[in-house]
Amino acid sequence: MSLHRWLTLSLLIGGSLTLYGCGEEQKSDTSSAGFAGLGQAADGFQYASPNQTIRFPQDHAAHPDYRIEWWYLTANLEDADGEPLGLQWTLFRQALMPPSERPDPTPWAADQLWMAHMAISQGEQHQVGERFGRSHSQAELYQPHDAQAGVITSPFHAWLDDWQLKASADANSDDFNHLTLTAYSGEDASRFGYTLELTAEGPLVFHGEEGFSQKAANGQGSMYYSQPFWRIDGNVTLNGETKTVSGRGWLDREWSSQLLDARQSGWDWFSIHFEDGHKLMAFQLRGGGDDSGDSGSDNTSTEQGADYRSGTWISPQGDATPLATDDITLTPLATSSVAGRDVPTRWRLEIASLELDINIEAPQANRWMDTSVPYWEGEVLVNDRASGEPLGEGYLEMTGY
Amino acid sequence: MIKAMPTVLATLLAHYRRHPGQLAMLLLGLWVASALWSGIQAINATARDSYARADAMFDSQLDQLERRDGAPLTRAEYYALRQEGLPISPIIEGQVATQDGTRLSIIGIDPLTLPSGNALGQTDTTASLTGFLMPPWQTGIAPDTLATLGLERANAVSATPTLASGKQLPPLTLSPALPPNTLIMDIAAAAQLLEIGEEITRMVTAPGALSEAPPEFTFTRATSLASPGQLTESFHLNLTALGLLAWVVGLFIVQAALGLALEQRMGMLRTLRVLGVSGRSLVVALSLELILLGVIGALAGIASGVWLARVLLPDVAATLGSLYSAGVGQELSLPWHYWVGGLAVSLGGLLLAGSGVLWRAAHLNMLQLGQLQAWRGGYRRQLTLMSIAGAIAFTAALTLYIWLSFQRPGEGLVAGFVLIAALLLASALWLPPLLGLLLKGLIRLAHRRPLIHWAVADMQLQLPKLSLAMMALLVALATNLGVSSMVGGFRITFLDWLDQRLVAPLYLNAPSEQYADIDVWLANRAEVSERLLTRRSEATLTTISTPEGSRSLGTPVELYGITPGESLTPHWPLLATQQDRPSAWAAFGEGAVFVNEQLATAENLTPGDQLTLSASGANETLTIAAIYPDYGNPSGQVLMASPQLAARFDAPPSSMGLVLYDDANVDTLRSALTERFGLGSDALSDQREIKRIATEIFERTFTITRALNALTLVVAALALLASLLAQARSRRQQLAPLWALGVPRAQLAQLNLTQLGGTALVTGLLAVPLGIAITWGLVAIINVAAFGWRLPLYLFPGEMAVTLATAIAVALLAAALPTLRFWRASPRALLAEEANQ
Repeated sequence: MSLHRWLTLSLLIGGSLTLYGCGEEQKSDTSSAGFAGLGQAADGFQYASPNQTIRFPQDHAAHPDYRIEWWYLTANLEDADGEPLGLQWTLFRQALMPPSERPDPTPWAADQLWMAHMAISQGEQHQVGERFGRSHSQAELYQPHDAQAGVITSPFHAWLDDWQLKASADANSDDFNHLTLTAYSGEDASRFGYTLELTAEGPLVFHGEEGFSQKAANGQGSMYYSQPFWRIDGNVTLNGETKTVSGRGWLDREWSSQLLDARQSGWDWFSIHFEDGHKLMAFQLRGGGDDSGDSGSDNTSTEQGADYRSGTWISPQGDATPLATDDITLTPLATSSVAGRDVPTRWRLEIASLELDINIEAPQANRWMDTSVPYWEGEVLVNDRASGEPLGEGYLEMTGY
Repeated sequence: MIKAMPTVLATLLAHYRRHPGQLAMLLLGLWVASALWSGIQAINATARDSYARADAMFDSQLDQLERRDGAPLTRAEYYALRQEGLPISPIIEGQVATQDGTRLSIIGIDPLTLPSGNALGQTDTTASLTGFLMPPWQTGIAPDTLATLGLERANAVSATPTLASGKQLPPLTLSPALPPNTLIMDIAAAAQLLEIGEEITRMVTAPGALSEAPPEFTFTRATSLASPGQLTESFHLNLTALGLLAWVVGLFIVQAALGLALEQRMGMLRTLRVLGVSGRSLVVALSLELILLGVIGALAGIASGVWLARVLLPDVAATLGSLYSAGVGQELSLPWHYWVGGLAVSLGGLLLAGSGVLWRAAHLNMLQLGQLQAWRGGYRRQLTLMSIAGAIAFTAALTLYIWLSFQRPGEGLVAGFVLIAALLLASALWLPPLLGLLLKGLIRLAHRRPLIHWAVADMQLQLPKLSLAMMALLVALATNLGVSSMVGGFRITFLDWLDQRLVAPLYLNAPSEQYADIDVWLANRAEVSERLLTRRSEATLTTISTPEGSRSLGTPVELYGITPGESLTPHWPLLATQQDRPSAWAAFGEGAVFVNEQLATAENLTPGDQLTLSASGANETLTIAAIYPDYGNPSGQVLMASPQLAARFDAPPSSMGLVLYDDANVDTLRSALTERFGLGSDALSDQREIKRIATEIFERTFTITRALNALTLVVAALALLASLLAQARSRRQQLAPLWALGVPRAQLAQLNLTQLGGTALVTGLLAVPLGIAITWGLVAIINVAAFGWRLPLYLFPGEMAVTLATAIAVALLAAALPTLRFWRASPRALLAEEANQ
């Protein structure tokens, strides 16, 4: 999932392209620049690999020896009037340099760059916030006052300024099933944000092979687990007005030093809550294969001419079934014009092994994230393709449009 | 006719081949006028560019947050505030010295939290964010700062110059948007370079992002921060006025030279007319000649102006830097409109000066021969016109003065300048009629002494052609007198004021929590006779109650607490008191306040009025006991006794003056104090050092004023010389008959010099009261309008004597050359003149 963060982050530090001496000309085209920059910079970092064991609570914290990482929450909620409301909160981490090149942890010196996004969507409204921060992975970190951004465990606490996801006050120290999320942006009448209680109603789910999620045909990938079973209650403030909300959420944790194909132009990622209690995660990396061989002639990361797809089918009890690339078919059915671009807002998703054939549609097209690197991220509704029967809801994110 | 134009032009220009001196004079006038004008404009343009860059920095665009007690903030406290949701960004500031001793400001920023949209954000467009954030980091530097590091632009990028401390700067990247002598780098790099550890100098936030400061913090709103532009505007106005004056005086030279060239070509013009060249063609040809000469003169002038600016700029930059902390680049930065403007002004001036010549050429009477008596008849009418115009200008000046006296003080900067200009114009216009009157009177007195009678009558004849030059001399002298009196008065006042304010030989700056301990310790030192603790804080002036009623407002004011001890009160200057000084100080000790002149001017306050001040919960209504001068301070200030300020507004100590007994050893005390309290080397400052710096500032200001004054006088002298040369030949015609009648040449030469010297003396005498009037206008109107405080009027009799002497010297010098020519003329030539008559 969420490959676009890599893109976002690497663009945020986009100048690193020239810094690392990549011979490619830097293009304004986001994907190739992002991928190329990442590709050249990964030497010296630790790599995600199969047979790596995920351990808790330490893996809830940051992995500074890996290049990129995120704590990522989406939620499909309803307010007291039954009106649907979607929200997003994401904390991204990016290592500025491999461990061997870290500077001494003098005051303010940083080897980690942090970025956080928040969004609240309801009907026509879509409010977006963005923050940045820095930290040094070798500086002493016992409490939030020791750094502008960071993640500590026992009790769990992830923060960038006052945007914080942390263990609830009454939870015991290693508990990851009761979290509190707060984030606010803006002043006075334009203030928006939320204070939410998250309660896990199912287990953590490991994607791919015991948490190793392959991202390309040559075996590269990331460490990836999710908590898709959040029940959420709390307050959301929008336009200075506060309302009570409840619903469900999905938290993703992923870290990697993974490189991507410079020719991939973007990706589409789906997380779906079915009404029967099942969950589905599916993504595809688009393009690359069919272009005549240009800049990315040295890459071996994708199958020629094909998009790379992957997914996980999750039972209501939390049992995960990985989905192979040829098991998944994704077809855009309709596009909407958003922020001057054509973005697919209606999709057909088929999963052969499950005999699943569904329509996924965004009821509101204006979910553009006008952040330092823009992308589309918003709520979707799911229905059966044959009968039209509503099956569930979820989140969709799309980059590279 | 068009075809004949080149021939006509060539014929006209041929004159200059025979008289290269006239051409030189003409070009000299143009050159001098445009050189001074463009030089000063170049300085102004560069300074404005520097201010604009400084303005674009966060200092003036972001709200600033500081701890109320003045103690520095630590990194952990900053994180805690961020985690409370405050959108603040840390700034580290300090200074480093380059190897040549120049002080450079280091500003360490955190680009990740800094509000976007100011000049700092622009550093990231060329340099990548990673490069900025990661070791070895980057140093953002404006190209015009490179010279202080001994670098050329070509090899500057990525250089890591070594500082005086032996440390190296992070690799340089060029950021033209940065102000001069300012280096920007990541906060981590700045913390290392400045060895500042965990401390933050201050915090900034986007304007209006916080509606109120958190407890324990004080806010400085972006809008209330004085920009150097405001403070330096008056300085630049003065420079511009001087430049304009030089330009006008330069044009007098041009006018005289053109008049001469026309006079001598009258015959040629008539011949051309007789040959069939139309009057219009003649005017076109003369205009073309003017433009040709104008372009050459203006280009040469602009080139020298830029050179002049380059020479003066370091002094100007240093003055502005020390006076107003306004950084001005050492390198000229000239926008395109500067060049176009310079050319346009020079050409425009030339056409203005030449318009008379063109008019006369157009109305040339083909048959009439030049008749001086007829000229004189015309001149009488001209004198009448001048008197009337002068009267109008004077009336305008008077009206403006009356209008200004009804205005609120502090307003009418432009009106003030117009008043001075009108006064100058009136005096200049009245000069020729006045001289005419004087000569008329003299003729009556001298009717029994034929030679003197002749000399006076002859002077009357010369007057039309000399009057312009004399007007130029008058304006130059009066302005010089006015400007130098103002600067001199400013210097005396400011240094006196500094003396009065800095009564203690030693000033102590320490962390505010240490003052209590230091005070106790100092109380037991034998060498200390008085401890003068000052406190500072700020408040909002919410209400003013006067006998006429009360007004509500929300003006931010500084609160300043002083210890009214024996050594301080007798010297502290007061401008107005409710009763007298002793009672004012008595009231002060009991809780009354003094306000500075700026605040009194801005809010129209008088002693006896009441102020309501509010700050951090405290609300106090206090009576004004006196108004005091506070030169150089851009803000309104309320002064109260230090203990009162502590009790009412909880203001922290800011410094302490130490008055010592005469036999005290300053060095012993200094080292004991430094050792006992672990204070830094800069914690104790010596009054002598402060005075030395202040004096240096004024010396620099004087250097500039003197240089410009000397130049304008030179220009005035040249104008006079040009006028005299223009009529040298006709002078010979006048003098030759006298010589033929037997008057010795020496006596004639003497007579000639006396005529001019006398006229110059009269002009100089007139310049003295005019200069005083200008000084008064500068200190009492323009200074108040620009700064909010009034300077006392100081007059310098020595300076006036010098001005008079200069006027006479200039006139004699200018007359010397034509006189010498007459002296050397062969008897045959003189006889020929006589024959011509």
